[in-house]
Amino acid sequence: MALKSVDTASLRAPAPTTDASERELLERISKARDQAAFRALYGNYYQRLSRLLARMSVRREDIEEVINDTFWVVWTKAGDFRGASQLSTWIIGIAYRRALNALRRAKLRPVADSEFDEDSISVESTEEEETNQQWLSLGLERLPVEQRMALELTYTLGHSCEEVARILDCPVNTVKTRLFRARETLKQVLPGLAGMHGDR
Amino acid sequence: MGARIPDTHAEAWSLLPWLANGRIAAEEREWVDAHIQSCAECRAELAQQQRVATQMSTDGAARAESGSDEQRSFNKLWARIEASEAAAPAAQIVSAGGSRAPRMVRWLAAAVIVQAVALGVLVYAALSGGSAAADKFITVTSVTPRMGLRADAPAVRVVFAPGASIDTINTLLTHQGLQIVDGPGTAGNFTAALLPDAVASGASAESVASVMSKDPNVRFAQPVAR
Repeated sequence: MALKSVDTASLRAPAPTTDASERELLERISKARDQAAFRALYGNYYQRLSRLLARMSVRREDIEEVINDTFWVVWTKAGDFRGASQLSTWIIGIAYRRALNALRRAKLRPVADSEFDEDSISVESTEEEETNQQWLSLGLERLPVEQRMALELTYTLGHSCEEVARILDCPVNTVKTRLFRARETLKQVLPGLAGMHGDR
Repeated sequence: MGARIPDTHAEAWSLLPWLANGRIAAEEREWVDAHIQSCAECRAELAQQQRVATQMSTDGAARAESGSDEQRSFNKLWARIEASEAAAPAAQIVSAGGSRAPRMVRWLAAAVIVQAVALGVLVYAALSGGSAAADKFITVTSVTPRMGLRADAPAVRVVFAPGASIDTINTLLTHQGLQIVDGPGTAGNFTAALLPDAVASGASAESVASVMSKDPNVRFAQPVAR
């Protein structure tokens, strides 16, 4: 029985504006200080960054600040972007680092990989949840932020492994390891993943 | 089948997330595809990861901010940019080069015209105010009480679009019950206060700023904190 290897177009986040057209917007921002171009680029990223930051457990009232801090950098540093990477990895990378700072300031930073205690996972505590969505949300909250971000960037925003590595500023193998550990942890927290709802 | 690596299963396993999201590198896709055709464990894992990806996308969309929040957030950011650039030394702004200097000149010219119109309105009001008003001195500092504006009147900070004509600006201000009380700043920003009639009819700095920010003749509008 041949399993179709990839049928995932619907899994991806809404197709972002192409990198080329976004670079054009950035050029207009850099050279002409074009507010309309800046507004358009802001709109391209607002939803994506909002969900990413929410997933990082950034407080709702801080999300706007992180997004605006990010685009403050875009406005002031637009001329410095050299195009070595995709524009999206540059912008999302800035947001990620700003968000980590916000979490530190709020003293709400989730535990890091080295601090994560897998024994703290309580399968029993999730037994009353009714849907897979609730299971997943609960499971994701248990992950260290670095693992959660690797998952979010891969599955929700549809980035390649190399792009995730650039955004998180870490080696490709580290990304693979984080996702590997995240997947294993989710399986412990989410018994539903082990074969419910007729996935065979 | 492509080139084998020492531990095909382990490597394929680690790449399944990018097979699930369709972003696996072309050179890896071939051998990973070939592996999962013969590996039931990897096939099951791929199906699970596809389900996680679907659920994360759904959940993420539910968490996203609304469109109105987006506009409000952008207005805040733009106010911050305007304030920052207004605070920069004028010489630095002009020397920033490019298309900026001509824009600043246009703004300053527009600002002078707006001020001239405002002064004309004041003079007309003073001259047509009857004998009681005729024997009063009209000074710049007496403008505010003459127009019935309180010092703490609700106000908005506004930057008009470069192509907006004086007539358009006047119409816009009149419709919103606004009176320019300060400006232009170095970034072309004005402060406009709500007239008492507008306040009495329920207008607030927030409501007026919201309406104005949607007007194509307005680049930026935000309530002034009192």
